[in-house]
Amino acid sequence: MQNKLTLFLSRNSRFIPLTVTALLAFLAYIVGAMLYPGMRDIQVFLNIFRNNTYLMISAVGMTFVILSGGIDLSVSGIVALTTVATAALIRAGWNPWLVFLLMLLMGAALGAVMGSFVAFLKVQPFIATLAGMWFARGMCFFISDDAISISHPVYTLLGQTKILIPGLAEIAWAQGRAAPYVTIPVLVSLLMVALAIYIAHFTRFGRNVYAIGGNEQSARLMGLPVNATRVMVYTFSGFCSGLAGIALSIFVLSGHGLYANGYEMDVIASVVMGGTMLTGGSGYLFGTPFGVLILGITQTLIQFNGSLSSWWTKIVIGILTLIFIGVQSLLVARKGGRKARELSPQARRQRWIYGGAATLVVGVLAVVLIINGGRLNSAVNTPEAERCALKPYRQDLAASLVEGGAVMVYERNGGPDCIDELYAIYPDGRITGNDGTENVEKQVTSDELNQVMTGILERGWFTDELYNTWHTPCGQCYGYYLTVVNNGEQKTVKGVDGGTDAPAVYWQIISLVKGLVPKFTAAP
Amino acid sequence: MSKEHKSVNLRKITESKLFFPLLTLAIILLMDLIIIPNFFAIQVRDGNLYGSLIDILRNASPVMILAIGMTLVIATGGVDLSVGAVMAIAASVAAIMMNPVIIGLELPPDLMKFINDPYFTYSPLWQVITVTLIVTTICGLWNGLLVAYIRIQPMVATLILMIAGRGIAQLITNGVRIQIFYEPYAFLGQGWIILPFSLYLVAILYTTTWLFTRRTAIGLFIESVGINFRSSFYSGINEKRIKMLVYAFSGFCAGLAGLVASSNIKTSDAHNIGIGLELDAILAVIIGGTLMSGGRFSLLASLIGAVVIQAITTSMYAVGVPAFALQAIKGVFVIIMILLYSEQARNFVRKLSAPKGA
Repeated sequence: MQNKLTLFLSRNSRFIPLTVTALLAFLAYIVGAMLYPGMRDIQVFLNIFRNNTYLMISAVGMTFVILSGGIDLSVSGIVALTTVATAALIRAGWNPWLVFLLMLLMGAALGAVMGSFVAFLKVQPFIATLAGMWFARGMCFFISDDAISISHPVYTLLGQTKILIPGLAEIAWAQGRAAPYVTIPVLVSLLMVALAIYIAHFTRFGRNVYAIGGNEQSARLMGLPVNATRVMVYTFSGFCSGLAGIALSIFVLSGHGLYANGYEMDVIASVVMGGTMLTGGSGYLFGTPFGVLILGITQTLIQFNGSLSSWWTKIVIGILTLIFIGVQSLLVARKGGRKARELSPQARRQRWIYGGAATLVVGVLAVVLIINGGRLNSAVNTPEAERCALKPYRQDLAASLVEGGAVMVYERNGGPDCIDELYAIYPDGRITGNDGTENVEKQVTSDELNQVMTGILERGWFTDELYNTWHTPCGQCYGYYLTVVNNGEQKTVKGVDGGTDAPAVYWQIISLVKGLVPKFTAAP
Repeated sequence: MSKEHKSVNLRKITESKLFFPLLTLAIILLMDLIIIPNFFAIQVRDGNLYGSLIDILRNASPVMILAIGMTLVIATGGVDLSVGAVMAIAASVAAIMMNPVIIGLELPPDLMKFINDPYFTYSPLWQVITVTLIVTTICGLWNGLLVAYIRIQPMVATLILMIAGRGIAQLITNGVRIQIFYEPYAFLGQGWIILPFSLYLVAILYTTTWLFTRRTAIGLFIESVGINFRSSFYSGINEKRIKMLVYAFSGFCAGLAGLVASSNIKTSDAHNIGIGLELDAILAVIIGGTLMSGGRFSLLASLIGAVVIQAITTSMYAVGVPAFALQAIKGVFVIIMILLYSEQARNFVRKLSAPKGA
């Protein structure tokens, strides 16, 4: 019996990481749904896809690069550059579709240049793409220092169109709830995954990528176009980054050079968790979406928990990556052992011992951290004791400002620096702000103001789409209040970031308003 | 005869590891001389020296410290991506030892003393420094364990700590940016004894490392592991211990760099301390001519590489390039460096300096 199992496992050992990933994603979601009833909502699950569209698209490109035995650190740079360039060109009045085409070409071109460096000049992939990342991120700031907001009908179409899911929608309607939906970028990302699976497993190019990643020397001797394939791989990754940048700009409706900072690590982590080996030549594209899913579920779990701070995401992702790489490393060890190469039984035993020791250390560390975290969390729930006391919201002042003629009153409170900002926007475009210590003022044209106001109304400010949500802010989170007055109607909506419970349109509206108001000198 | 002798000398110079870094530095400084007035002016105030050149050296010191550790790691054929995150951990550990009340569960009775008295600290400075360096050395040992004994690729193994490290650093301080009021600590990064104090730290670290690598066999062992770890193993070098040693040392250097960086800004900013510095350190080593595939290394060349990076940064700021846009220029610079070090370029220089007709 045990023999049969061993045989089965060793025959299908290449599927082990993939299965582990899929099971883990499933398990994490089940645990989440049991702990937090809110997670049982199908929309929350779909939101994981919606919030990670760009991660999914980049991860597809990265999978090819890693399969070919390389690495692409430039994704975050290209994504940021795409958002800024898109925003700037659209602000300059270009047709968005043309801009999208240009951005895809730009991503592909940057990828091709890096690929040529890797393929022909034999530069280490990691160095060449690093240079690419610096270049792309630096270029963002040649275009604009500040965030540029985007408001264009095409963006509304792409970002707001709700695609109902047949079957689920009817059930939801029958129960009298809003139908779960996805957006167009989600469909695009899933389409990319399908396309990539086809390319990787059913075309000559895909097989070449696997061959090069497995052993470049033999691929060359077999007469495969090694250099051309390498260039193609990086070009495809650059293209995906461009597409991911567009998806991100649709999601946040703005462009800025600091977006997607450190995002290449998330991408690499999700590819690794998807079961692709970092040594190249082994893995399945099918696993990558599951890797992204694990990352998304982890984020959602931490957000739903509410008391866990955002840095836990990093630690959990780090530990998960370690575990997956450990599994891979042991699988390679088994392979090596079967071929009786280099590793004596003693060396293998030694490796298991050290591997066990490392796992033990991580385990103990994790337990200590979690216990420690629990203690700290209980402290967080009694805020005044050790962190700066959360300043109260100045809703009375806000109400009086509205009576004084303001069309919008925007209040942001909390965060790591315990700020307390209150802005009033008047119909003539005058904006005043106060953060308790400082007053700022700015004058915008009534056109700009009208644009923002239309954007807010288009997103259904006075409909049931926007409703109040609230949970205790974590150490890094901000609380928001926004009051909008239009045609005698007045409505205030509040929400805390760092949680998925507030409707996505709310954050789009907040970022619209954020783009309008002046900054305080002390603001982060 | 004399002509041939001369060309041999020239060849010796161009083949030297220090040639390219020094040449680059000279070109950059020459441009500064033309573009920026008073760039080379050095003032004396209270017996201390100030000026753009001194500033370049002072600001380069964290990268210089990192580059020393990184050189040894890269010489063994590895790479340490975690140094930036380890710097953040160092800053957090140091800050919380001096100023634990900020996340304490009850407010201490001497809170005001704490803010008003710049010479008040919870742990003495030597303890702060020792504990921080021990913690970061353990971080380095962890990387070494993954690389040497579990045989994970160095880039990936250190990537793990790079991802998780900043999270750990934030966890240590519970996400709070701790202000450091303690004056003597600020001396590490901001003190001057004729020259900036951090430069003395660099000098001590460099001399010790040089003695250990060049006056004992360790340097040779490191190079041989980088060239071929299997044959080193068969020649009786404990290749695993050498790897453990260099990663631990890199962790140690990152700790020191983290102390200097945090004392420079007087806070433990887990988000921003050492961000991107791992790349600067690697770039410094590349400029110093140590190959990413491992093998021969030169500590001094890496130090010059670090100064080159800072010289570019400072000159660009002086010209008025915005801070973030600088990255684009750095990226282009890396490409130029790669081209310069490629086989083709080396051959070209060799041809130029070779005696005619030989």
